[in-house]
Amino acid sequence: MRWKTAPGEEVSAMSGFKPRTGTPATYVHVYVHTVAVRCVSLPRGKISTYLPYGFRIQQWSIETTMKSCLRASASIEDDHDMDVDTATSASQGPAKHALPELEIYSYLLVLIFLIDQKRYNEAKACSSASIARLKNLNRRTVDVLAARLYFYYSYSHELTNSLAEIRGNLLALHRLATLRRDELGQETLLNLLLRNYLHYNLYDQAEKLRSKAPRFEAHSNQQFCRYLFYHGKIMTIQLEYTDAKESLLQAARKAPVAARGFRIQCNKWAVIVRLLLGEIPERTVFMQKGMKKALTPYFELTNAVRIGDLELFRTVADKYSSTFSLDRTHNLIVRLRHNVIRTGLRNISISYSRISLADVAKKLRLDSSNPVADAESIVAKAIRDGAIDATVDHANGWMVSKETGDVYSTNEPQNAFNSRIAFCLNMHNEAVRALRFPPNSHKEKESAEKRRERQQQEEELAKHIAEEDDDEF
Amino acid sequence: MDPQMTEVTQLFGRFKAAFIRNDFVSCNSLLSQLKVLLTKFPSLPPSFQESPNAVQELTIAREIYEHAVVLSVKTEDQDAFERDFFQLKPYYTDTSGILPSSPQEYPILGLNLLRLLVQNRIAEFHTELELLPTSALDNPCLKHAVELEQSFMEGAYNRVLSARQTVPHETYVHFMDLLAKTGHPEWEIKDGFVFFQKAKESAPCKEIPSLQLINQTLSYARELERIV
Repeated sequence: MRWKTAPGEEVSAMSGFKPRTGTPATYVHVYVHTVAVRCVSLPRGKISTYLPYGFRIQQWSIETTMKSCLRASASIEDDHDMDVDTATSASQGPAKHALPELEIYSYLLVLIFLIDQKRYNEAKACSSASIARLKNLNRRTVDVLAARLYFYYSYSHELTNSLAEIRGNLLALHRLATLRRDELGQETLLNLLLRNYLHYNLYDQAEKLRSKAPRFEAHSNQQFCRYLFYHGKIMTIQLEYTDAKESLLQAARKAPVAARGFRIQCNKWAVIVRLLLGEIPERTVFMQKGMKKALTPYFELTNAVRIGDLELFRTVADKYSSTFSLDRTHNLIVRLRHNVIRTGLRNISISYSRISLADVAKKLRLDSSNPVADAESIVAKAIRDGAIDATVDHANGWMVSKETGDVYSTNEPQNAFNSRIAFCLNMHNEAVRALRFPPNSHKEKESAEKRRERQQQEEELAKHIAEEDDDEF
Repeated sequence: MDPQMTEVTQLFGRFKAAFIRNDFVSCNSLLSQLKVLLTKFPSLPPSFQESPNAVQELTIAREIYEHAVVLSVKTEDQDAFERDFFQLKPYYTDTSGILPSSPQEYPILGLNLLRLLVQNRIAEFHTELELLPTSALDNPCLKHAVELEQSFMEGAYNRVLSARQTVPHETYVHFMDLLAKTGHPEWEIKDGFVFFQKAKESAPCKEIPSLQLINQTLSYARELERIV
């Protein structure tokens, strides 16, 4: 069977990087990188129609598929006409001159095809084989493809529920990528490892790895988004809510519009973190396009926290308990109970200048054996934490609220003003930086030393200007 | 039977006898001998080598470490508790395919949660909590620790104080006493009352923080100049 005989399918993956006769290998390298990797998503739709013809994958086992795959990729190189007759090539010996890049790319295509066909166990075997092959290759030109392959390697294991098996392997690959200075590989593998740990709720291990892994400027926006999301999750569990909020909001903002599921997850976690911080997310957060339905449980939860109604909070938590355990946010929601009580107490403190503790307990709907004693200690703690400005009269069983102090007599407004300006300026600077091209990607390659020299000069110049600026004041 | 196994079993028998007599000194010395002997078993973590005696070895090792944890509670040695608990943990997390789960698992996990709470290590408390399946939270031992943490957060200290009467396990009393004795970085307990440490006062400021204001304004001006 001839590849060219499939009309209308010419633009398929394999014929996509058909090199001309006698093309130097470098040409293929460039081609593989610029076109093939970006096009992985493009042929994906066509793979399902195309691959069965090309490799007769339906009847063949993985090994034969891979063999023919490799042979085909070798033939692309050798065969001028791209005539791959499976009947004759089957009788030929295994390909000797296949470029590793083509080999890895073939693995990638077969893997994606198998996953799309829901043949997960075969995909798992295929990915393990490809990783074993990858470990023996030490070519910088394979790195980009390898990063994609790592992802599908982990994905196929996640689909077969065997992520724990590959943890050691991923760690070894991450070490290898670090030694080879393959930053894209490191980035991808670090995310896969974090995902692996978080899949089993191993937050401790995840944080230890995250804080010790080498950091550098992100190469891929998608990987950076994932990293931010995982970081946000870890910080939430470890009660670092401010850091968590920043990471989660940034992840939601940076994620591409098409990644709806990812953005929904980010928003769910961000909502909870903001509630735990005592903030109330705006209504627009829940009304985002395509997310309204998924965020409904969290919207009702926010409502309960906002009003400070413990009874309503309990009802919502019960009503959506299956959703919350599916999202693995159940334990966080238990933590929110404290915030509901605080809000309720603050509302009471604002409304009444003096109120009996029995009434406080009734209004907060505390259900325990001794509600008055509970209310008294809760009020005491709230006063101590500065949540309300009041005193407890133990003898009479009263809570006496003080006049709400004038917040403008403190430094609070100035601090709030400063943090908002800092946020805006930071956002502007990041946006400008994101618009810049990577240094000299189009011009001639500049050596690392030269670049350092140039950066140093630039820095000095900037410092000079800054100093002059200071002098002017 | 394997001679090493016989030795460990005999020694562990003597340890248990001393343990029941509350003879902690001989318990400790026997325990260190046992720990040394355990290093010779190939099937224990972290190597998990497959061997015909694996189940037997893992079971006895797990039991020894469980006793070690309880012993550390009785001798009030918190560092030893932490060490022994971390050695015990892999037996709970990584042997589910080999061993049936231990009846002591939840009481000891609950004990660890309580310890983290007493030491005010709340982040670690929540990290450990995430590792438990939802069904485990119905266990009285774990429930006790989880509810105690909630009472802490809300400030319902009367419930913290009364929790001592409702401990699910005798070993829990020690940590509850510790809580009442040493208290907490934020407060202490005296004669049944909770006394707070004084929090930082956020009194209205009398002076304008001029230096800070000047610095901030200058930085805005510098940034704005770059934009315009």
